[in-house]
Amino acid sequence: MKLTIQARKSFNNFTLSADVALSGERIGIFGPSGGGKSTLVRLIAGLETPESGEICLDGDVLFSRSRRINLPPEKRRIAIVFQDARLFPHLNVHSNLLYGCKRCVKKGEAGIDFARLVTTLQLEELLERGVENLSGGQKQRVALGRAILANPRLLLMDEPLSALDDTLRFQIIPYLRSVSEEFGIPYLFISHSLLEMRLMTDQAMAVEGGKVSAPQAIEALARSRVVWDRSDYVNLLKLRDGEAGDGLYAYPFGAGRIYLWEGGAGEVLFELAAREIMLLRGKPEAISARNLLPCTIVDIFDQQNRIGVELDYGGARLIATVVRQAAAELQLKVGETVYAVIKASAFRRIY
Amino acid sequence: MGLSSSDIEAIWLTIRLASVVTLILLLVGTPIAWWLARTPSRCKGMIGAVVALPLVLPPSVLGFYLLLAMGPHGPVGQLTRSLGVEALPFTFWGLVLASVFYSLPFMIQPLQNAFEAIGDRPLEAAATLGASPLDAFFTVAVPLARPGFLTASILTFAHTVGEFGVVLMIGGNIPGVTRVASVQIYDHVEAMEYASAHRLSAIMLIFSFLVLLALYAKRPSGRRD
Repeated sequence: MKLTIQARKSFNNFTLSADVALSGERIGIFGPSGGGKSTLVRLIAGLETPESGEICLDGDVLFSRSRRINLPPEKRRIAIVFQDARLFPHLNVHSNLLYGCKRCVKKGEAGIDFARLVTTLQLEELLERGVENLSGGQKQRVALGRAILANPRLLLMDEPLSALDDTLRFQIIPYLRSVSEEFGIPYLFISHSLLEMRLMTDQAMAVEGGKVSAPQAIEALARSRVVWDRSDYVNLLKLRDGEAGDGLYAYPFGAGRIYLWEGGAGEVLFELAAREIMLLRGKPEAISARNLLPCTIVDIFDQQNRIGVELDYGGARLIATVVRQAAAELQLKVGETVYAVIKASAFRRIY
Repeated sequence: MGLSSSDIEAIWLTIRLASVVTLILLLVGTPIAWWLARTPSRCKGMIGAVVALPLVLPPSVLGFYLLLAMGPHGPVGQLTRSLGVEALPFTFWGLVLASVFYSLPFMIQPLQNAFEAIGDRPLEAAATLGASPLDAFFTVAVPLARPGFLTASILTFAHTVGEFGVVLMIGGNIPGVTRVASVQIYDHVEAMEYASAHRLSAIMLIFSFLVLLALYAKRPSGRRD
């Protein structure tokens, strides 16, 4: 998917200006609330008209002030999953799902396999129900299904998870990703959560104060520790084949194993805050923390008032953050070996 | 019930008039209400005020102006004459036209409120799913505004049934043509036929009460979140 946006849009005391070229299948729009993310989405979908500029999707002009082109939203084939789901209350789940499909997929065109989508989103049981009494997570799954069935050229997900609680949020993420991959529909994912961004996208552009920056790799964005997101860098660890024993779970990781309080069957995702990793110069005699990993330093970078240290442990990467003073005392250098100390309780399970 | 044939004729005429007016106003009022609910235009306030005028204007004033307009020298009168149609005053269709104006706010205001309550959100969702504005209007806005349509139709019907002043100004009192129930009651009273007036009045009272009961009993279930 290739999308170029050169556009300006002003409201009372806010101006959004964008000049970016996007190329990829899973792209994030990341930034604080009120920074212009939703406006950008509405310009792309055609729900707002820019004052000037040009918007093109895969070579087709959606909007051009100079050429007097402005495709209405219903002709753009860009579907949106809204934050508030926006299901039609007078239709049941089945009719909601088919609303866009009837209008966007021409007769004879292949379109999306309804049965397969319903199975993927686990909506079989809900089809005949009204939408008013569905839970938040169910509503978003129906909204996602409805958007996918319209077989759009591009799917915009505008903070689709922010109305949901944490548990539900991370249950939905695999659906969002797998559905778009399975049916080959590229998406723009909008969120103010860096964690969601990292789980959903490969690259993201930051939108803040009406300014849209060029997209960068999501990992780089996470490391640069953007100003509005005060949280520390978080390591995301996808682990599998855990074994329980002695009240801990052991997972294969890098050159050895790591020990955690929690665990589960199949693939499990954990987060580990970078500041929870302690760095030692020499090997201690004995230590209460369950994880003592000899690592090689592969990168040292600035993280505002702290230092980020990227560690390699037999191919597995971790990032630790330390204050400047500690970094100076430890005399950290790329290529040297340090011991990373991590308590078994420091890992937090996401799903 | 002891109704005379002229009473029954008057009731039947009233029902016919109210039904025709409600149907016409559904067709004419819906687009106006939709426009009023969604336009950013500055004319909105002006048009809204004009639509609301019959709420406060004495029926005789409205009737007087309509009579002038429909008369041989009025714009409507000249139009009907050029079309070769008989003059509208003192005819059933003259009453219909007058009642459409008289009951306009009772159709438009509930509809406008219903459309405003729907807001942009469901319509934007429909647009991104490929629905043209007209398609979204019929498949999303109209079904969602159903309670509003019901309220507006009932109010319009009931209000047309209850009109008196405008009918007298435009239609006079021609049996079977313009003598509706309210005028018939007036006639009974004028002729000191109090028993007949009672019977017809009681029917009107019960009818009005039932209409309002239906309307208010409907309210809670008509609300959406």
